[in-house]
Amino acid sequence: MQEKIQERAEEKGQTPVVRFDHVSMQFPGVLASDDVSLEIRQGEVFALVGENGAGKSTLMNLLYGIHTPTAGEIYVKGKKLVRHEPSESIEAGIGMVHQHFMLVPSFTVAQNIVLSREPRKLGIFCDLKKAEEETRQLVEEYGLKVDPKAVVGEISVGLQQRVEILKTLHRGAEILILDEPTAVLTPQETDELFAVIRRIVREKNMTVIIITHKLYEVMAISDRVGVMRQGKLIGVEETKNVSERILASMMVGREVLLDQLEKTGKPGQVLIDVRDVHADDNRGLPAVNGVSLQVRAGEILGIAAIEGNGQSELLEVITGMRPLRQGQVFIAGQNASGKDPGQIRAMGLAHIPEDRIATGVSSQSSVKENLIIGKERQPDFAKKGIHLRQSSIARYASDLFAKYDLRGAGIETEAGSLSGGNMQKVVVAREFSFDTPILVIAQPTRGVDIGAMEFIHQQIIRKRNEGCAILLVSADLDEVLRLSDRVITMYEGRVTGEFPAEKIDRMEIGYYMTGSRKEEVGGESVYEEDTENTEEK
Amino acid sequence: MNQILDVFNMGLLQNTLRSATPVILAAMGGLLTEHAGIMNIGMDGMILMGAFAAVAVSFALSSAAMGVAAAVAAGILAGLFFALFVVKLKSDEFIIGMALNTFAGALTVYLLRSIFGVKGTFSDKGIVGLPKVHLDVLDHIPFLGQLLNDNSIFVYVTWGIVFLTWLFLYRTPYGFWMRAAGEHPQSLETAGVSPVRMKFLASILCGILCGLAGAHLSLGYLTMFTEGMSGDRGFIAFACVLFGMANPPKVFLAALLFGFLQALGLRLQSAGVPADLTSIIPYASTVLMMVYVVVSGKKKKKKR
Amino acid sequence: MKAFMKKILKTLKKNRNYLISLGLSILAAFLLGALLMLVTGYDPMKGYAAMLKGAFGSSRVFGNTLAKMLTLCLTGLATAVGARAGLFNVGGEGQLYLGGMAATVVGIWLCGLPAAVAVPLAFLAAAAAGGAYAWVPAALKVKLGVSEVIATIMLNSVAIYFCTWLCNGPLKTADKGLSGATDAVPDNFVFGQVIARSNLSTAIFYSAVIAFLCWYIMEKTSTGLEMKVTGENPRFAFFSGLKKDRIMIWSMVASGAICGLVGMFEVYGYQHRFLPTISNEFFFDGMLVAMIMNYSPLGIILMSFFFAVIDIGASAMELSTGISHELSDIIFAIIIFLMAAEGGISRAFSARQLQKKARRQIGGREKVCREVEPK
Repeated sequence: MQEKIQERAEEKGQTPVVRFDHVSMQFPGVLASDDVSLEIRQGEVFALVGENGAGKSTLMNLLYGIHTPTAGEIYVKGKKLVRHEPSESIEAGIGMVHQHFMLVPSFTVAQNIVLSREPRKLGIFCDLKKAEEETRQLVEEYGLKVDPKAVVGEISVGLQQRVEILKTLHRGAEILILDEPTAVLTPQETDELFAVIRRIVREKNMTVIIITHKLYEVMAISDRVGVMRQGKLIGVEETKNVSERILASMMVGREVLLDQLEKTGKPGQVLIDVRDVHADDNRGLPAVNGVSLQVRAGEILGIAAIEGNGQSELLEVITGMRPLRQGQVFIAGQNASGKDPGQIRAMGLAHIPEDRIATGVSSQSSVKENLIIGKERQPDFAKKGIHLRQSSIARYASDLFAKYDLRGAGIETEAGSLSGGNMQKVVVAREFSFDTPILVIAQPTRGVDIGAMEFIHQQIIRKRNEGCAILLVSADLDEVLRLSDRVITMYEGRVTGEFPAEKIDRMEIGYYMTGSRKEEVGGESVYEEDTENTEEK
Repeated sequence: MNQILDVFNMGLLQNTLRSATPVILAAMGGLLTEHAGIMNIGMDGMILMGAFAAVAVSFALSSAAMGVAAAVAAGILAGLFFALFVVKLKSDEFIIGMALNTFAGALTVYLLRSIFGVKGTFSDKGIVGLPKVHLDVLDHIPFLGQLLNDNSIFVYVTWGIVFLTWLFLYRTPYGFWMRAAGEHPQSLETAGVSPVRMKFLASILCGILCGLAGAHLSLGYLTMFTEGMSGDRGFIAFACVLFGMANPPKVFLAALLFGFLQALGLRLQSAGVPADLTSIIPYASTVLMMVYVVVSGKKKKKKR
Repeated sequence: MKAFMKKILKTLKKNRNYLISLGLSILAAFLLGALLMLVTGYDPMKGYAAMLKGAFGSSRVFGNTLAKMLTLCLTGLATAVGARAGLFNVGGEGQLYLGGMAATVVGIWLCGLPAAVAVPLAFLAAAAAGGAYAWVPAALKVKLGVSEVIATIMLNSVAIYFCTWLCNGPLKTADKGLSGATDAVPDNFVFGQVIARSNLSTAIFYSAVIAFLCWYIMEKTSTGLEMKVTGENPRFAFFSGLKKDRIMIWSMVASGAICGLVGMFEVYGYQHRFLPTISNEFFFDGMLVAMIMNYSPLGIILMSFFFAVIDIGASAMELSTGISHELSDIIFAIIIFLMAAEGGISRAFSARQLQKKARRQIGGREKVCREVEPK
């Protein structure tokens, strides 16, 4: 017995199943992979860590054939990749679960799983029955429960991730790449996912590469870990030989300075008052089901929830972006129910939207123009509210530019060509410079590098210390916990729990984020509930 | 009263089938590109090119079949051209579509002038029209027989194409890929099928179907080519695609409705209503149709 | 003056790449046009010479060219005003017809009043008719989400047939020798000629004012900025507190009003009565100009002259050489295709350059290469 384990370890240690040989990838303006050489071994769980924009995803996209390397070679099981197309990598046994799922929303689970290799009858027709049968077999073989007939657009994110994994397995993947798989999962769902990973590695002798920036997950799941920074592979270590601390300093290139946010002052009067609000999502289905909350001056209220549980819709209702079906919203004591964003802004509210490209900027307008929108009729910037004063606009924009440290761009640059971090800074600069007493902030640092993240966090805390009432939503639980004075959890459009600063507990919040059903949380119940939902529709 | 009843006779239904046929063909093409995620407003130009190619070749070779083949070839070229710009070079669909319409309109008139030396309309006994189908069996069925007999062969072919389009989209892998290419191209690409290729395919198929629509216009009942003879049918087809929510049977019905309205206009004309006014009917009703779609769509959403 | 020159140079420099590709596209379009003439058995040199002569040959034809320019310029600007706010007004042709008809009706109806009263009222009527007819698709788009492209195209045909019916029916003139036209507008209402025997009337001064206003509002005012932001990202405009619906609808109405005035200019400046052939798809040529110039007002004003030369020249060419004047539209379309293609080609080109640069930096090892598509 002992020997066998030894043997397997040997096997794990010896055979490189993927080899990167001096691989570089140049995007316009960014060297996303810089001369990376790396070997992944058969049957291991390899974690690839690094900050946002460090080049982890790019490296894996290269392996999966989405990009063609500018220089260097990639070998899978000793065979060199030549065509650099996904089809070639799939043939070589690579499967990838992307951060943004690659699923067609209107197709069923089975149709998604067999896409591009549909079982056929009479040569040219799809055999959908067989597709469902194949899916059912996979479900049973790997224990990843999901209904083959469910429409993908209508099932939960956790289930969609299972579909993604099943899809790669259906294509005969032996090497599975998971890109930030836990970003959209609850701590409980994460545990389940890890159990699945362990099982397929143990029982099916698969190789798993997991991309993440959560270090405790690296410690929990991986055999080896590689750290990337600015496109370079900084180091590869056996996980048992490193600690979170070591990894963190490798990632950032210095000691991590997080958790030094100074909070001063006490909460004052209520500035955001939400009473029994109901609203629908874009498909017209109920998304917010009777939420009440209050935010006071000088405090940050954080909402912790898995994406798609109504928190985005709630924020949009408060800011006037989304129609209110029922209930009332008061902003600084004034009734803001059913008002449009312009009217609500006039009450003293500024808003950082969750999707900066879709909502936060005009991509084809210059940085300058993006910075003054909302103030374009003020006498400072427009003579009699009509003729634009170009020079004072330029001066104002340059000031903000310097204050928010928008390096690598100019005020005439088109907003659409900015990096994610800079674009977010433009949004933050504009919204914060309205100097409103109320801020509604969604996903303040999504897809932003760590420098910009620290900066934005400091700005948020500064606003809080100045006495602003701040409502914060983030998909990054760590961010919510770090910034908030008070946390509420939401699940399926309802508030499920409230935690004052001294009672914030990660695991506990995790439970409440799934509807506070500690005992029931598990693959089985989640699955059944989702199929019920599907049938209702 | 009698006059009003007069309007609704057999001729009305026959004309409905005839008027609807080119719109159905083009709409099936537009439906494919719509599923592949391309807003195709260049169909009008594609129809025009098909119509011209059909007449020119039918006249030159005295063969309707060759004329149709030429229309198909013109359609393939137009579809390739459109896809090259919109899919490959990622140009603006709206601009390219409108430019294609202008180009087709100008080129056909130019060629009409320089090849046949005529302005406006080209008709000649040498142009061979499409054969009409007559089944003796149908003569014995009183109503249907009259309706279904003696139509251009394209009328029947079109019904087959509607079914084939449906079969293609919902029952074959290529249809799945085409829909995936429009709805979520990355998922198709990561599955190893090129969405660009599927979009090209959709555009080319659309070109072929528009070419056939053109051939029906110029060789179906009248054998001639007239400047701008597509008469905005490409746009009406596009409206039908929206009206039928890109679902082949529904789009088919929408196009039939359009055909009916046009035929009604013709009948009203013979009942004494000025032609200028009856010509408004199909265009105005297209706008109303689109409003109806949106309003009813919103109501449905609310009900959910 | 010096500052002004500097500004012009700066603008040129900023748009250098665009201007170069525009120049090359135009050149290539003319070459392709020449090829087409060769293939169809004409002499391209003769054709183009006739075209130039037809546009510049005499003060009369030059006047016609300028008259054409103002039509193209205004319809192009009308397209741009709508497009800037994110609505594609393809219905200018219909708005032009209705505007012309409204001005004609008002002119005939007010016959006997002093021109100083009647003509401004005709202006109002034309703008109101065009604007109102554009309001319909704009409101349908903004309030309900009905595609304005299809709606406006359909409404074109509706307006054209409706006006044709009016000409053949209720408003048919009693004048002998004319069929399918309205009565003439009283002589004292019509615009004076600027160049004798040409189509150029004092409408060119009104047009200049309208063109200046379009440019000023779109480029220099808060309203212009709000239109731009709304057109580019309506969700962002709404988010920022702009009245996006109002901006979109009013831009479209303004666009329609301009087209309506073009219709009036055709009647008062040239035809003096309403004919069903008052516009031969004039609006669509203007729209092409706007597209080629990327909806930039200044660009449209300049480019419309160039298009007018080709358009008027082509008509003269048809008379003298027998080459169909549709050649002008073919050339326009080719320019658009090339400009559109150029965008894609230069994107691919710059990506390849970057790739080369990167390879040099890395040490130039021989590698497999494919186009990089920035994601």
